[in-house]
Amino acid sequence: MLPLDLYQGLPAAWCPGCGNFGMLKAFKQALAELEIKPEGLLMVSGIGQSGKFPHYLRCNTFNGIHGRTLPLATGARLANHEMAVVAEAGDGDCYGEGGNHLLATLRRNPNLTLVVHNNQVYALTKGQASPTTDQGFKTLLQPDGVAYPPLHALALAVSQDCSWVGRGFAGMEEHLTGLYKEALSHRGFALLEVLQPCVTFNRINTYQWFQARVYQVEEEAGYDPENEIWAFQKGREWGERIPIGLIFKRPRPLLEEIHPVLGAGPLVRQQPQRPVKELLADFF
Amino acid sequence: MAIDFNILIGGAAGQGVHAITTPLAKTLVRQGCQVLFVQSYESRIRGGHLFNRIRVADAPLISSREGVDLLVALNQETVHLHQGELAPDGVIIYDASQVRDLPTRGLKLPLETATLLPEKQAAEIAVNAGASGAILGLLQVSLVPMMGLLLEAFADKGTEVVGWNHRAAAAGYKLGAALGNGHSLAGITPAPAPRLLISGHEALALGALAAGLQFISGYPMTPWSSVLNAVGQRAARWGVVVEQAEDEIAAINLALGASFAGVRAMTGSSGGGFSLMVETLGLAGCSETPLVIVEAQRPGPSTGLPTRTEQGDLSFVLYAGQGDFPRAVLAPGTPAQGFALAARAFNLAERYQLPVFLLTDQYLADVNFTHEAGDFPEKVEIQRALKLGPAAAVYERYAITADGVSPRRLPGFGPELVVADSDEHTPDGHLTEDLLVRVQMHDKRLRKLKKLGRELTGISTSGPAAAPLALVCWGSSLGPVTEAVARLNEAGAPARMVHLSELWPFPAMAVAKALKGANKLVMVEMNATGQADRLLRQETGIAADHLVLRYDGAPFTPEYILRGLEGHA
Repeated sequence: MLPLDLYQGLPAAWCPGCGNFGMLKAFKQALAELEIKPEGLLMVSGIGQSGKFPHYLRCNTFNGIHGRTLPLATGARLANHEMAVVAEAGDGDCYGEGGNHLLATLRRNPNLTLVVHNNQVYALTKGQASPTTDQGFKTLLQPDGVAYPPLHALALAVSQDCSWVGRGFAGMEEHLTGLYKEALSHRGFALLEVLQPCVTFNRINTYQWFQARVYQVEEEAGYDPENEIWAFQKGREWGERIPIGLIFKRPRPLLEEIHPVLGAGPLVRQQPQRPVKELLADFF
Repeated sequence: MAIDFNILIGGAAGQGVHAITTPLAKTLVRQGCQVLFVQSYESRIRGGHLFNRIRVADAPLISSREGVDLLVALNQETVHLHQGELAPDGVIIYDASQVRDLPTRGLKLPLETATLLPEKQAAEIAVNAGASGAILGLLQVSLVPMMGLLLEAFADKGTEVVGWNHRAAAAGYKLGAALGNGHSLAGITPAPAPRLLISGHEALALGALAAGLQFISGYPMTPWSSVLNAVGQRAARWGVVVEQAEDEIAAINLALGASFAGVRAMTGSSGGGFSLMVETLGLAGCSETPLVIVEAQRPGPSTGLPTRTEQGDLSFVLYAGQGDFPRAVLAPGTPAQGFALAARAFNLAERYQLPVFLLTDQYLADVNFTHEAGDFPEKVEIQRALKLGPAAAVYERYAITADGVSPRRLPGFGPELVVADSDEHTPDGHLTEDLLVRVQMHDKRLRKLKKLGRELTGISTSGPAAAPLALVCWGSSLGPVTEAVARLNEAGAPARMVHLSELWPFPAMAVAKALKGANKLVMVEMNATGQADRLLRQETGIAADHLVLRYDGAPFTPEYILRGLEGHA
């Protein structure tokens, strides 16, 4: 295990009590236990409170724009598949603005971890509804309550054979560390959603609210994360009981195995030699 | 030139216009002819009207021209649409099963399956290969290279199909030779060394490969797709990762991520798709990540004319994105220039850590030029501009420097951490709201333009340097304007051409120098409002006296430009 202070970044500018603090602590613990060095890790994030996450760590960072975390991370991973790549996104970021990229990434199966901070609200812009906001939730913009049902992102991921699907809760740090470690060690695209209470703009889905509802799927008798029907049901379950833990797992070919060019090692380490004469040969 | 012969091959999409054109053009080039062909097509897979205009000469060609000496009609519509252009001594070769109504003038050669290839199942081959043979027979050019090309093209369909093609071509050749006319190319001198027949986008793709391209991502859109396809077909051989993205936003982010991690990356689209990329263009600018973007123009607004040409996105690429950030815009005028500028784009992007545009259009994408091997560089210098090895002190990705270029390192290549951000950031890459740092960082980024501006010139000229009439153009208009200027000079009206292939940072000094002494300035460009004219005025204070604009979707011809000068030259 590496020392935790290796990952000490800038002081975080989140609200006191924010679920992101628990996530940060658990994530550092997982990195230290897996001995992933800061220089061997690239964190790619978008915009939102989640987008700031890498700044509060010590690691390579590309803090991009809203919704585009996954293609940015996938491009980096394709260029250097020896580097651990983690995409850090929010619920609005990944399930709203970047929805099409989530669908495409589920198909591509790059060997990277996607962490979705799910606080069910747009916090950075001060409280509008997100794709995961509960139906009926009232906001400044939706004074009569949100009209649509929330997106069941985990069920969507299971339905598309996502290689690893899990959910953690920021209020259960030790359990979350375990999930981080599993997701980071998994070969393939791992989607880890973390229930992350927003203490300022979401007064409904609070720590207490979640503590009364979450249960660990692994404690359910005989739960099989390789059974897609069961996993799909868990992915849709929301309300009185909310499952956390490893929901689904399925081995699939990696994106980097699909590109034969990468068999010769990371693209960034290859030195292409292309004589002009040979390039032109097809056109004589 | 003693020989200057225009062939127009037209038909419905799916009838084989391209199947005739490419081997024909290749055969003519291999016999020593200079060939230039342009493509005109509609946005449909079958039907409609498409045609290729193939110009054949005994001296280098830089432009297409109007007029038809040989009309090859695979359907009736081709005759109706183009018979007006037919020269008095013109020839019509036509599919007798499709064409009934013909003009009275001109020599005519019907292609009939009964005489070419009686096999019922091979009617299409009879006409296509028969037409190729007939054209070569008419021009008295050897059929041998054509036979080889037909073998190459149809080998995977079996010996029977190859045999049919060969028989039809030979039969067509006899008919064409028997027709007799004044257009023999038999006296053409063989080339001292093999020449290339290559399109603008093919050459651009090769230039990118020569410059070390390792990653390309894109979403299909005409006319940009031909760059993606040209790289894709060569990706396995040259070690390139090609990723077809779910949309253009993903395409540019994939490429940007790959570039950040250290490989030379390119993306592109046409105007509509590039519209989707604009937010990430700003990210490339703010994060100072090198990126080469092809913007292959087609007429807008919106979907516009999807398969036609225009130079209507110049203002768009110059100003796309919120806020100010440095960028470079290069616009090649020929395939060889496309190769050279693609290679240059990667070096500039990497040395100055900014997005570089290659601004092309449908005309340049599809036009095929005959080039000498010597038109291309023997070797492309790859300037990586990376810092490797241990850092002397604390590493800062955005260290404030005199020329604005900060030391670029790669993530995962040492203990130094690389932190990049779309937010305004401190020298070490972390987001900041310190207003003083904001100004320092903004100034640092924009400072890069100073040195870059001194490096860009990219002006080519033709005609007498002291001519009072100057025609200014940019990008793909190079050829037609060069020829229009040559014709003016031949006619005793001194004129010069000034062509810009590097548009931003605008080479104001070089342009002003090239325009010195001109008392009449004409801007020639393919858009409706004179976008380059506005740029010229903005950057130099020099205004054109007259604009020759084209925005009907068809490319410039020398004749169109000369008509536009009437009363002004």
